[in-house]
Amino acid sequence: MSVPHYPVNEFGPLMKGMVIGIVGIVHVFLAQFAIGGGMLLWYFERLSQRGKEQDARAFVDGFFPILVLVSFVLGALTGVAIWFTTIAVGARTIGLMIDEFHWLWATEWVCFSVEVVAGYAFYKVGHRLAPKVRLRLLALYSIASWLSLFFINGILSWQLTPSSEPSNVWHGFFNASFWPSLLYRTCVAMALAALAACVVINTMKIERERRAALIRRASRFAAPIAIMPLLAGWYLASIPEDSRSWLLGGSAPMMMFVGVAAGASFLIGAYAVVALLIKRLYIGGATATLLLALALGATGAGEFVREGARKPYTVRNVLYSNSITPDEVAGLRATGVTVDDPYPLRDDARYANDQLRRGAKVERALCDACHTMKGGNALVELTRSWTDDQLRLNISKLQHTKALAQLLRWETQGAPATWPVAPTPPEIAGYLDAAGVK
Amino acid sequence: MWPFDRGGVVLALYIGTLALHAVFVAYVLAGSAFALLRRKDPIAATVLDRLPFMLGCGITAGVAPLLFVQLLHQRRFYTANLLLGPRWFAVVPALIVGFYALYLAKASDRWRRIALVVALACFAFVAWSWSELHELMQADPEWAAFYAAGHRLFTAATIAPRFVIVIGAMATLFVTVAAWSTDTAGRSRLAPIAAVGRVASIAGALWLWHTGFSVEGPAVVWFGILVGAAVVDLAAWTLTWKRPSDLALTVATAAGTAALLSAAVVREAPRVALIETHAQADASGAGYAFVIALVLGTAAIAWVVRQLR
Repeated sequence: MSVPHYPVNEFGPLMKGMVIGIVGIVHVFLAQFAIGGGMLLWYFERLSQRGKEQDARAFVDGFFPILVLVSFVLGALTGVAIWFTTIAVGARTIGLMIDEFHWLWATEWVCFSVEVVAGYAFYKVGHRLAPKVRLRLLALYSIASWLSLFFINGILSWQLTPSSEPSNVWHGFFNASFWPSLLYRTCVAMALAALAACVVINTMKIERERRAALIRRASRFAAPIAIMPLLAGWYLASIPEDSRSWLLGGSAPMMMFVGVAAGASFLIGAYAVVALLIKRLYIGGATATLLLALALGATGAGEFVREGARKPYTVRNVLYSNSITPDEVAGLRATGVTVDDPYPLRDDARYANDQLRRGAKVERALCDACHTMKGGNALVELTRSWTDDQLRLNISKLQHTKALAQLLRWETQGAPATWPVAPTPPEIAGYLDAAGVK
Repeated sequence: MWPFDRGGVVLALYIGTLALHAVFVAYVLAGSAFALLRRKDPIAATVLDRLPFMLGCGITAGVAPLLFVQLLHQRRFYTANLLLGPRWFAVVPALIVGFYALYLAKASDRWRRIALVVALACFAFVAWSWSELHELMQADPEWAAFYAAGHRLFTAATIAPRFVIVIGAMATLFVTVAAWSTDTAGRSRLAPIAAVGRVASIAGALWLWHTGFSVEGPAVVWFGILVGAAVVDLAAWTLTWKRPSDLALTVATAAGTAALLSAAVVREAPRVALIETHAQADASGAGYAFVIALVLGTAAIAWVVRQLR
């Protein structure tokens, strides 16, 4: 079985998860803002046309250019950046997703195209259109952008909960975490739009009372945030048990990120429900901006959790994070992971001997997807205090990668690791006695 | 029919959406140059106003060929991406800067000239980068050495002539779109640009041929269509220059469209044999979903366009 080899890039001290995280979080935040923004504008336009809110029309005309300038430009281009970054981080993963879902991805592209055309049309000529056409155009924009989320959500949620029937694309698409994830993201999109609206309303040159009236309307749009804990619970129930326990205490960093996402969302939700909806308080531009920043933090933590829950896979049970399938492992243990790798090392001359070079290639093939040597999640730091025996048992013995163990010892101490050739039976008996095993 | 007997509907969609993408980005790149160099022409104001929208459409339309190329040439596309590495990612910030520069050029008289220069530089860089990536995708014997040396710039004799072809074609495409929304005097002013663009493309093609690019086998038929369409296109623009009319513009547009599509096929010819096949899930149902979405989406866009008039 031939394993596809791709050239590997490093990003200085940044591990690859950080790179995709930075681009992905910005894109998700902007894209969800665009989706919620469309719905919010339709709601305000409707209020305006029914005569229920005197400044709603002015708000729509003021908010839309911001939506276009921020979301259409940065949102669309960070979407392109996501393609390139995913290729850099895990070419085989994105290739697998394309192979599986290309028609649905193409369907999503059609939705995105409608969204962009409808959005630009409203931006350009919305002011001179008949009220009914304005409303329809905003409805088209909102539906298209939400459908875009609908299709992407199915593809992304498939990574953690792929179908038990891999031959059927629809089973994969409507996977176990599809609905909770879709509804959760929809609520997030509405909350983001409401918060951004509060920022924009504060910039409008009208009396405070009229701004307060608009804010009360926008706040209603954030109301679905109240059901987010339920949706989060549904999502947790839908993911595999080991991933769930990983998030709920199995991994301390993951649990912390769950806490950050939940805590930030709770604070935003509590403010929206108690202060804005129940107490009907006024929210200033600074506070709204702060809440929006908190929402960015919650989005970041949430995306980190979603990515982390899949470990050690990028597609659960199908592809490991280092782009090797479970079926390929036995073959690679027999032949070695570097045998068919056509790419030489860029820093070949740096290594003292061929064994270290092989170790560097093994590190590139097996570890580089989640670790760096000396930067983020550094292998050197993780293994610095290990004894030679620990290296042997944890890396050489378990993973059949002696060269990698030697490389790590060389990186930390500049000397080779040494081990007894093989323990004799009396030595083994001694170890067992020492461990209290009869 | 070659090449679709090998690449199937995915190749057809790739070529179709690539051509659509080319129309929009041609308007942006050549339009930016036009607005910069012909500031006093009344057409420049319309062009300037439309540039951000056209770039938005260009980027959106570009997502589709980006998707389909990953089915046709997955290994090569990913490898070339990774080999160029951070230098390839630079196209994204370049596009962001270019995008905002277009908005600035539209909004500010004071900053217009410098904003257009910046935008033009950004878009030319992106166009060059795509030519570079296209060549690197096919240069598999050089991949390992390129990677080992840590290079980030790929040089090949064919990149510059490809760039010249593209820039020339962009000028013609820009005029083809812009001419439909101007009067006869405007068309007469635009026509020489289209003709010069076409001549530049032909010169670039001759240069490319000189570097070793050749058209063989079934691609010759498509090349014949390209040559015929280019000749008719050139004649129609020359006529528009002297005696602008709807008929001449219609002929130029039809010939330009034929030239664009056949050029896209000829461009693909050397790598048709390299098209990859992948084990895929049964996606027939999803294919129908795409067709339905395409029909509904096209109808929705047509409705939006009708509202704009």
